[in-house]
Amino acid sequence: MTKSVKVYVNVNASPVKAFFVSMFTRDIKLEEAILDLLDNCVDGVLRGRHSSSKLTPYKGFWAAIEFKRGHFEISDNCGGIPWKLHDYAFRMGRDPDRPSEPAGTVGVYGIGMKRAIFKMGQECIITTRSGADAYEVEISPEWMENEGEWTIPVRAAKRGPKDEDGTTILVGSLYPGIAARFSDDAAVFTAELTKLIATHYAFIIQKGFVVTINGRSVRPRPTLLAFTRRPARNAPAIRPFIYKTESQGVSVFMAVGFTRPIPSEAEIAAEQEDVKYSTIEAGWTILCNDRAVVYCDRTELTGWGEANVPRYHTQFIAISGIVEFRAADASKLPTMTTKRGIDASSPLFLQVKNKMREGMRLFIDYTNRWKTFPAEARRHLDETVTLSFEELKAEAVTLPMIRVTRLTPSGKQYTPHLPLPQREGANMRRIQFTRPRQDVERVAEHLFDDKGVEPSLVGEKCFDLALRDARR
Amino acid sequence: MTQPAYHLRTNKAIDRLAMIEAIRRLERIVGDLSSYTYYGFGGPYLEDFRLLYELCPALKLVSFEKNADVRARQRFHLPCGTVQLEPTAFRTFVAQYQATDQASIVWLDNTGLEYAAFGDFIAILAKVSDMSMIKITLRAQPKDYAGTATETPVAAANRFRAQFGAVMPDSTATPPTTEPGYSALLVRLLEIAAQQALPSSSERTFLPVSSFRYSDGTPMVTVTGLVTRKSAIADIKKVFGGWQFTNHTWAGPRLIDVPTLSTKERLHLQKHLPHSGTDAGKMLRGALGHLIDDTISRTEAGLQQYADYHSYFPYFVRAIP
Repeated sequence: MTKSVKVYVNVNASPVKAFFVSMFTRDIKLEEAILDLLDNCVDGVLRGRHSSSKLTPYKGFWAAIEFKRGHFEISDNCGGIPWKLHDYAFRMGRDPDRPSEPAGTVGVYGIGMKRAIFKMGQECIITTRSGADAYEVEISPEWMENEGEWTIPVRAAKRGPKDEDGTTILVGSLYPGIAARFSDDAAVFTAELTKLIATHYAFIIQKGFVVTINGRSVRPRPTLLAFTRRPARNAPAIRPFIYKTESQGVSVFMAVGFTRPIPSEAEIAAEQEDVKYSTIEAGWTILCNDRAVVYCDRTELTGWGEANVPRYHTQFIAISGIVEFRAADASKLPTMTTKRGIDASSPLFLQVKNKMREGMRLFIDYTNRWKTFPAEARRHLDETVTLSFEELKAEAVTLPMIRVTRLTPSGKQYTPHLPLPQREGANMRRIQFTRPRQDVERVAEHLFDDKGVEPSLVGEKCFDLALRDARR
Repeated sequence: MTQPAYHLRTNKAIDRLAMIEAIRRLERIVGDLSSYTYYGFGGPYLEDFRLLYELCPALKLVSFEKNADVRARQRFHLPCGTVQLEPTAFRTFVAQYQATDQASIVWLDNTGLEYAAFGDFIAILAKVSDMSMIKITLRAQPKDYAGTATETPVAAANRFRAQFGAVMPDSTATPPTTEPGYSALLVRLLEIAAQQALPSSSERTFLPVSSFRYSDGTPMVTVTGLVTRKSAIADIKKVFGGWQFTNHTWAGPRLIDVPTLSTKERLHLQKHLPHSGTDAGKMLRGALGHLIDDTISRTEAGLQQYADYHSYFPYFVRAIP
């Protein structure tokens, strides 16, 4: 009897479409996936190099987002996808042979568009017009189910005489959860998406780009920092702390300062009882090539609660900072793969974070010294104007920056001379106590004829009256 | 006194009776209100509780009041022996509230406008059981955020955005300066808060049943709705469908602004009512034979309001004890 020999065939290790798609859509939120589509629009503008204006390089370009229960659509006039790039644009991942992207773009990993589409639905038609090219790519549910087929059908697209170069992505067969967000949750989803675009795209919109959501334009929500234009010679003044540097093809500009008057101790205490402000615009915003990848962060990510910087507290609600990283080669930016966060372990970011903490500390000290004199502190802001980030960068060239070489990379910084209280320190003592609200209101009415007077003023008046008696 | 006493505010009284109508319609759906507890702020006279005891006697009634002096007046004005007076802040109640199988009717009757009220609304929506009714009232005075001698309009708008940005449809928008526009915006804020509390992924949703705006000296806006399984929406709409003031959308609240009429004028007009339709004001002006305001159009607008709300319009009578 002959022994049978088992024959082993080669193993199929090709990716399973459903697994591949479900895995790479898992780590991104729907709103962030839509931001990826907007990133592609902006990259299209930069690829075409249509504008030479430095102040408004995106003027004339737009992206329109529409969604309902049955479909999602984003269309733009940002140049389209040239046919010569079709092999690269529609592959999952970035082909190493793909031509390098122009300066300022952020697309690195070649997954943004595909990830957004597969996050939302099972079919998609991408229509694009770029110069003489006009074509349509269709991804159908049947294609998704066909494991053997990795090429996508293409057909010529109609092009009207008024059609601008651009792309329309129409996603249908929406997953039930996505369809529900676009319809049952339409109010809250629209509000959240509007807020995300208004904050994360604030700088790009200010530079001329127009984004609409279901027909309504998104207005930018930039951070504005207080700046004293012409302080008296050597006089203290409210201005941001500024640091700039350049390292291995990445330029960095950082500013931290005040956006509003600092809160009084009464306001801080009241915030502990009831939430008064639903939106807090304090903390750090990090820009990479004009896009905000982190917005108003108040965690250890941006230095709060590290070294000599305390954890974020309502007392610091007036402190805001912006750090801009700009690079021609987007792979050098310290962003995460989702482009919606910062790589906290990036050596460049860690070095810049030292300066972020240094700047924050200045303003934290100011709030510690002035929180018991809020009215006086408020007057410091009366002499300031609020500047946008671009306006601040323009002002910075007139400021006396000093060279900093202790750090790698070396850079230049401007340290403001902030006002100090004339009376403070060892001679002052804090008096703090609580009493029933009715009793405080009764005393306020007795002393001021107004039961709504701030409790701290009631306490101060009681002390002053007692001191007057004690001095007799 | 800048405003009428709480229990004598005409437009608020109509809103209160509209709430009771909504509760009666709820009873037609659930069959029995004896398992329901009503939670609210009674004020010194417990006016809401008096009416509820009279018109919906099956409800259990709980009033929240932190102020000991007001609670003493409430004890004096108890409409019945079963109203429970809780010496607790409403916010504490919301934080401690545990949903059980027992449904609730909760009236978040705020006199001001603060973000904390939206926090309470979100918290209570997420906690109550099915077929609970929630009513929320907010101050809707656009001048609060239009600027003053010490605060510029820009700073006031910034303050509004900082306070309410988390529930605004567009967190960069400036609040409207007209009462209709401003109250419509506040209703949109409540819509977003409701969707935050009960998103589409939840089996339940908050279905508005009515919304009004009114002023008895201070403009106010109010929304009433039901926390319900989505499968029950059709049944709810059937029951509320026959009510003149039903509004299942978040579009503009309906105005309550009834005119001041003498008892004699009201009794004279009674025989011409009910009269549905938008020409009721013109018809009643003809029936009355004189103006009740400076112009014909204002008279007819006022009488239209009277026609719409006459069955909820209270009679305030001076009695000699």
